[in-house]
Amino acid sequence: MRIVLILVLSLLGCSGSIDEPVSYFNVETPRPFGYVIGDEIPQRIVIETRSGISLQPGSLPAKGQINRWLNLNQVTVKQSGRRYQIDLRYQVFYAPLAVKSLTLPGFTVQFSQGEKSIGQSVPAWTFTLSPLRELVARQTEQGEYMRPDSPPSLLANTQTLYGLAASLSVAALIAAYLSYLYGCFPDRLRRTLFKQALRKLAGLSKSDMEQALTLVHRVLNSLNGQPLFHNRLSQFYRRNPQYLQVSSRLDWFFNYSNRYFFSDGMIVVTQDLQQLKDLCEQCRKIERGSQ
Amino acid sequence: MNTDTQLTDWRELALQFERQINQTVIGLQPAVRNIILAVFARGHVLLEGNVGVGKTTLLRAVAQGLGGDYQRIEGTIDLMPADLIYYTYLNDQGRPCVDPGPLLKHGNTLATFFFNEINRARPQVHALLLRAMAERSINAFNRDYHFPHIQVFADRNRVEKEETFELPAAAKDRFMMEINIDMPSADTVLDELMFNPRFHDTDQLIAGVTNSGIYYRLNELAQTLQQRIQTSPKLHAYALSLWKATHQPQQYGVQLTDVEMPQLLMAGASPRGMSYLIRAAKTRAWLERRDHVLPEDLQAIFPVCMTHRLFLNPMVAYRKEQLLPELIKGILNQVAAP
Repeated sequence: MRIVLILVLSLLGCSGSIDEPVSYFNVETPRPFGYVIGDEIPQRIVIETRSGISLQPGSLPAKGQINRWLNLNQVTVKQSGRRYQIDLRYQVFYAPLAVKSLTLPGFTVQFSQGEKSIGQSVPAWTFTLSPLRELVARQTEQGEYMRPDSPPSLLANTQTLYGLAASLSVAALIAAYLSYLYGCFPDRLRRTLFKQALRKLAGLSKSDMEQALTLVHRVLNSLNGQPLFHNRLSQFYRRNPQYLQVSSRLDWFFNYSNRYFFSDGMIVVTQDLQQLKDLCEQCRKIERGSQ
Repeated sequence: MNTDTQLTDWRELALQFERQINQTVIGLQPAVRNIILAVFARGHVLLEGNVGVGKTTLLRAVAQGLGGDYQRIEGTIDLMPADLIYYTYLNDQGRPCVDPGPLLKHGNTLATFFFNEINRARPQVHALLLRAMAERSINAFNRDYHFPHIQVFADRNRVEKEETFELPAAAKDRFMMEINIDMPSADTVLDELMFNPRFHDTDQLIAGVTNSGIYYRLNELAQTLQQRIQTSPKLHAYALSLWKATHQPQQYGVQLTDVEMPQLLMAGASPRGMSYLIRAAKTRAWLERRDHVLPEDLQAIFPVCMTHRLFLNPMVAYRKEQLLPELIKGILNQVAAP
């Protein structure tokens, strides 16, 4: 009989702890002093429950304004098994005149077990808030008392700027070279062909006719992109129709050059060189786009 | 009569001859012009083209118009050199006889020798032709026979490759020109060829060509012509550049797609090929009423005189049909004169 009594009593001793719905409850708060207006105060609540019990998120305080001077900025709930970690982040907007004691309001966390509801209260937490400055703002010799922080000094970036400039110029050079390779500038180069030819022709006389004719041939070849012959003039005009207006002069040039280079007994007169220069003048006008 | 007048008279004859051929075989003006050039430059001609485009008709018309003794032989796989030189038969009395074959039949007056389907003949026949074409002589019956006037016209069709023998490089080089005959493209010409009964009977068509009887004087004329038409140092330089470009086109900036240029060619133009080119160029200058050769003369005949003389590396030879015309065009487009 005595043994039965001991057994019943020891079982009764165990029953209490088994029935507790919340096996662990702790509120972790930071220091309760030294806060000023605008500070954020984190609060962490750690709860471990028995199995089969789940947290009702609706029972947690809602994000937003709690009262006149307190805001709840963030509510995070992390669950790992039966353990809940609730992180709350408050922000105070109270402007005290002297050090003042304030209280974060308590609330009750609700759990549900089947249809049953169990509450665990989180106690209110008291802390002190200090003013930012003395009650009367004073003037000092150093200027305004209420002033922003001195701006931070800038980091030295001269090296980086030089580096950027150097890499940009290298990139520009490469781009220019690439576009030259892809043939983006032929027009620019071809626009001065006859200008250069005229400059060279100016120094030549009647006796240098061979040189003069070769020069004009070279210019026409470069303009055409490949050697230009009399019988290919029509293709040349198709590509460069603006030169059609000097077709008669070009015909004269090719006939003259053929006679000069490929047949005997050609007598050169001064007018021929002049005519050659006239041809180049006309072509120069065309390449400048003024005709 | 001085030489210049003589050349002028001959030119009129040549142009008239060309007009007549163009009326007989229509739509092939460029080919006719090239054949006229070859005839007056005394060079042999190889025609290549599809079946039934008028190769044989063209050559028969030219042979008929030129006059002179004409012989023709068909290339077959069993044709042997001896068949060209003699043939044996039993005569009326039943005695075996040996008579001269097509090459020897006319002796030294043999003028036009027309070899039809030359690529069907065996290499032995090609070898006999080599000498006949280059030296205008052959050896038979223990003596040499000379043919001072022989002009070989050969044709081959490019459709079939079975039972044919590719002409050896040496034989090809002896032809002055290889002329491609393509089907006329103009609708009017095609319509005419289809519906005009004049073109239905080839024999009658050929018979309509007047025999000008100029043939046996051609050698003399060609000689005079080659001496009279001038070439200037600048033209020599241009021809030399063209020649070098056929050996190393990459040095003249010729670039073909998907080809390693230094490995493109196995052989460029031969000295004989270049001398043929100049002969034909002089003849063209003469037909164009000039007494001097211009670069455009060389350019006009460069493709027909050179294409069959360039031999591609076996690695790219299968693209011959595409690469050779591109190469020739590239050379003409890159070499400048003066």
